[in-house]
Parts: sequence; C-alpha cells; structure tokens
Amino acid sequence: MMRLYDYVLSPSCYKVRLMAALAGVSLELRPVDFHPGAEHRGPELLSLNPAGSLPILVDGDLVLTESSAILVYLAGKAASQWLGRASPVDAAREQQWLSFSSRLTTSLGSARLHEMLLRPGDIGALQAAGIAALRELEAGLVEQRLQGRAFLVANAPTVADIACFPYVALAPDGGISLDPYPAIRLWSRALRALPGFIEMPGIHRLHELKPEPLLEPGVV
Amino acid sequence: MTDDTASAQAMTDEWYPVGLISQLDKTGRQTALMGEPIVVAHDADGQALVTGHNGRRLPVKLRYGHVWSSLGTPKKDIFAIPEADQPGRRFVDVGVVRVRCSPLRAVENFLDIAHFPFVHTDVLGAEPHTEVLNYTAEIRPDVDEVWATEVKFYQPQASKSASGGITTEYMYRVPAPTCSVLYKTCPPRPTEWDVITLFVQPLAEDLCDVWPWMALFDDETAMTDLIHFQQMIFLQDRSILENQVPRLLPLDPGMEIPTRADLTSIAYRRWLKRHNYTYGAQLVAR
Amino acid sequence: MRSDTTGFWTPVALSADVLAGTVIPARVSAGIIALWRSQSGHVAASADRCPHRGMSLSHGFVRGEALSCIYHGWSYGQDGRCVRIPAHPGLTPPETIRVTTYAVRESDGIVWVAEGTPASDPPSLAGWIPLRTLTVEADREAIETAAGASASADGLLETTRADERLCLLLSPSQQVRTGMQTVTHVLVADGCLPPVRIAASRSAERLRRMAETAAEKGRLP
Repeated sequence: MMRLYDYVLSPSCYKVRLMAALAGVSLELRPVDFHPGAEHRGPELLSLNPAGSLPILVDGDLVLTESSAILVYLAGKAASQWLGRASPVDAAREQQWLSFSSRLTTSLGSARLHEMLLRPGDIGALQAAGIAALRELEAGLVEQRLQGRAFLVANAPTVADIACFPYVALAPDGGISLDPYPAIRLWSRALRALPGFIEMPGIHRLHELKPEPLLEPGVV
Repeated sequence: MTDDTASAQAMTDEWYPVGLISQLDKTGRQTALMGEPIVVAHDADGQALVTGHNGRRLPVKLRYGHVWSSLGTPKKDIFAIPEADQPGRRFVDVGVVRVRCSPLRAVENFLDIAHFPFVHTDVLGAEPHTEVLNYTAEIRPDVDEVWATEVKFYQPQASKSASGGITTEYMYRVPAPTCSVLYKTCPPRPTEWDVITLFVQPLAEDLCDVWPWMALFDDETAMTDLIHFQQMIFLQDRSILENQVPRLLPLDPGMEIPTRADLTSIAYRRWLKRHNYTYGAQLVAR
Repeated sequence: MRSDTTGFWTPVALSADVLAGTVIPARVSAGIIALWRSQSGHVAASADRCPHRGMSLSHGFVRGEALSCIYHGWSYGQDGRCVRIPAHPGLTPPETIRVTTYAVRESDGIVWVAEGTPASDPPSLAGWIPLRTLTVEADREAIETAAGASASADGLLETTRADERLCLLLSPSQQVRTGMQTVTHVLVADGCLPPVRIAASRSAERLRRMAETAAEKGRLP
C-alpha cells in the first residue's frame, strides 16, 4: 500500500487524501507531528524530503514530494479520467492551474498559517496576494462556465481542481473572505458534492446532501 | 470593547496559559495577555520568565504542560486537576491555535454538545442522534466552579482509540473564566475518566490563543495521532467561533436564546456575571 | 438605487448564482444577509444571524424548504419562523423564535432584496442578460469615472469604455473594513455569443482595475 506522510491540518496533504478517496485508492497514513513538534524538519523526514515539506508519498522504492506531482501519480495509476489529456489545450490548462496552485499555497496558505498557527509573515501582503489569486481563479471559472465547463479544465473535474480547491476553501482561516466570488462558490460546491468526497477540518459536511432525518425523541 | 475597569480587574488577577513548557527558549515567545504585550522565555538558568510591559516581571507557574502567568496578583493557586498526578496517564500537549473570537465564546463552545452532529459530523456526533437528554448543570458553592454532570451523547468515533459508535458520558467543569476541564468515558478503563482540557489565553477581548491539553489512559495510540485527533476537533470548531455575532459573549439574556440543552452555558454565563468576569463579554445589547 | 420615501430594491445576486438547495451571503445596506433558495426553487432572505448562539446563517445549509444553521441545525422557514431544534426532537419551537426576513423578487435573472417597503417593482432590464457579479473595492463615483458614464437612479450604467458594450448594475456602495466597496452586476446584450461574453467579462475586469486604481489615487494624501 502507498504510504502518505500526512498532517491532518495541511491542505497540501488533504489534496492527496482527497484525490485518493475520489480515485478509490487506499493509503496508509503516517501522521507527522508538524505542529507543535516540527517533525517534518527532523532527521527522518528530511532524509526523505530535504525540502522539509509535506506531503511525501512512498510507493515501494518510489518517493514523491510536491502535492501536484503526487496527484498526477495517483490519477495516472488509478483514475486516468482525472488527467486532462483529451487535447493539447486541456493538457496545457491542467499544467497552468497546477502551477497556479503553488501561488495559492504561498499566499492563502501562508496567511492561514500566520493567522491560525502563528507562523511569521507579512499578513497584509499575504492576504493581498491571496485576493489577487482568488480574483484570477474567479475570472478563469467564469470563462469556463461561459463555455459550458463546470471545472478548471473540462466539464469534469481533474487533478487541477483538486490542486486548487483546498487552499481556496480554507481561505477564511487566513482572514480572507470568499463572499465576493460566486463562480468559486459554485465550483467549490460542485467538488464537495462529488461521490466519495471527504472533508478536512475547516470544511464542513454538506448536510443538505443527506435527507432530513425523521426525528423522534429517544432515538439516542 | 469594554473599558469597564472593575470587570478588567476581576479577570486580571487570574492565571492564564501563555506557552508550552516544552517550547520555552531563550529568544522567547512574543505574545500578549489581555492587551498587554508579554514575552515568555527562560533565563540563563533555565527558569521560566514572563515579562510584561516596560520589562516588569509577571508571576509564573508551570503546570499541566503549560507556562501560566497573570497581569495582576492572583489570590489563589491555579485550579487543581488531581488526575494530572495519577500514575499511568499520558499527557498530550496539543499546541496552540489562534482564533479571532472572544476567549469566553471559545470556552462556551467547548461546553456544548448539541453541535456535535453538525460540526464534528461522524466523529463526535451524527444525525439522527441529535437529541440532548436531560443533564445537571450547577454552580457548586463549595468550590465556586461550574459543573455539568450526567451528560450523555451518542458518538460515532468518540476518541482516536474508539472503534465504532458508543454513548459517551461527559462531565464538564469550569474552574477559571477561560479554562474548562472535560471528563469523558475512558474506553480502556471503565472506572476512570479521560481528561481533556481547553486552556484559553486571552490576547484581547476578541482574540485568543487556545491551548488544548489532555491526560489520557491510552497506551496504544501514537502520541502524534492523539495530537492530530484533538487538533482536528478544534479546527472544526474554529470556523464556527470566527463567525458568531457579536464576537463578544453576550451576557444580556435578551441577546441569544438558550434551550434546555444549553444549561451548562446558562450556568457559565451566570457565573461569569456574578464574578464580574466580563473581559470578552458584552453586558448590554449594542 | 432609486429611493422613494418607503424603500428600494437592492440587486444582490444573479439568479443563476443561487442554486436550489443552497444559501449564500449577500450584502444590503444593513450588512450581510443570508440569501437562500429552497429545493422547490423559492428564494428567501433573512438576517445572517441565528438567534440561538449568533452563528452566521449564510454558513448553513438548505434542506427542503428550510434554512438550517450549521452550528446546531436550528431550521427556519421562509417566513423566518424556527421550525426545528434538533437537540429537542419532540419540541415544537415557540413562535417567538424567528429571524428577520426580507422581501425578495426575482426578475430578469437578478435577485432583488427589499430594503424598507418599495412602492414600485424592481427596474426592468429588458434587452440585457446577466453575465457575472464583481465586487469592486471602490465607490460608485470611481466606477462612473472609469466607465465614463453616470449611473441612473436605478444604478444602471451603460459603457463601451473597455471595448465591449456592457451594462453595469451597481448596488449601493458600502463602507467595509478595507474601504468603500460596490457589488456590481455585469450585464451584456441579450443574444450575444460566448466569445463576446468572455470578452465582456474581461472588459468588466479592466473597468474594475481602472476604478480601483482611481480610488486608490483618491485615497492618497
């Protein structure tokens, strides 16, 4: 089984957990004490990934770092429909948004770590960069919708959507409102309603997907 | 913000968590306590040192994995948690999480079980098991603490070590205005209680650092798993706490509508009012 | 907005952006409200605060014909009355538990919320169709300057300043934490094709940049 070096509050690790859940791949989770223990900067983890970042995926002899690469690997192995390879345009768009997703990490992600786990940073600059990235994503999604596509590459989700979704959904953790972005809201909801979707802390269950339970006293 | 000095004074003389003992260093943690910038460090001899405005030395105590301090002159010791001295327990420093909310709202949320099915879905609660059965909540005059007992709730995954759903029994205790201790069914030892605490450091009236801490009977689960489980639970609460209006805890009974399920919260608010513990509270509707 | 003595309509969202069975936050003069569409398609608006513990209702969820709070699942009907308290399944919530509601109208693809009691209907947008909603970090005046045109009493403004022919439907500008903000609905001529719509969306972004740059300069001493 593939082993994921994982931190429960990391949106980048969540990308991998989410992709695996949607693709039906089982992962062995190896929890890393990122906070407060800083285990990702300890000798064992640094020998696997000198960059000191999470996630790390180990599959036999293969060691992969960088969440976008791991998403491509999982999809390629188990769910190739998640790769936007139908045309050169799709392949290029997918790459574009995978690259873009790292800007979400450095802006929205860093704002979140600052506001929530007290990591250093210029919060004003991080939030401004986050808002610029959200506006870019919103514009891209509007154009996709105008062409009849609900997701970033096509009318079906790809690894690009999974790469962008977590930091966007958790932007409010870093003090950045999602209220001004209707297209992002629709896209986010479409992803959250996918069969097999799993949450992470900060992303609530879509309770409306479940019917109202018949409540009777004493069912406890 | 309230500038009511009497209320500020009542809470000034209390102890608050300001850092983890395990993370004390020479550089120090630059933080704040009730609006005053403070530094939490250790000196050349390894002694914990908390410094306030203009370099004034603040009182220091080391207890329950954390460094505690106060801006005033505490009249009593930090509240006792006898279980912290019980052999066989594992102590878990969960680490800090900052929340843009009143420290009192953070504590009140910790005392609430009715939100479990909606906020901690499939972990601490799940529909249709939403009913809150009758329980007892009181201000105990002998110890001057808020207590809730015989609290029962169905939980799909009550703890990291739990496999499958169980009806969990809880007791809640509020021994200090921004601290709460939860006693919870301990699956490996039915005669004991697991202890889960929420220690809240008030940075400002609408901003706090939350330090969860646990003393558990669990020899099986890896420490990191225990930390992650509790961080997961608290981070599910954080987005709720940052979206309550008003940010300050309303003590005016007309502002919010409690039901029988909120008896602990009612007792907590009454106790806060009685003691003038109103830093982070809103007394009249604004 | 045209403000008669009794009230006015504020355009808060595109109909297409409020899916059945969802709730979104929307901005009116009084602040944020919860705008939701029931499963059967009925749009309703209420105060964005659950009276139980003050949680924002726009973070909640919609099941059937009721809006529920994400915190404890308290549910409210379109008339604002609390219909369900999950912690007490046997209890019929007392009539006194309710949220303030607002009158809502849907016309020409826009959701309008009444502030006060408007004497007339929302303005007609005949000939235009809604494209998207943009939040502009600038006041109405800066947008008018950027567009080179003035808005009508209904908040409508037609411009070709950024190449494409656009109609902007401006909500009243509001003071927020970061400065002035104007929720702007972008409309295009009915019947235009996707490439024109995409160009119009880009033109609207360009106008926003121009308005925000102008507002930024205006803020400098």
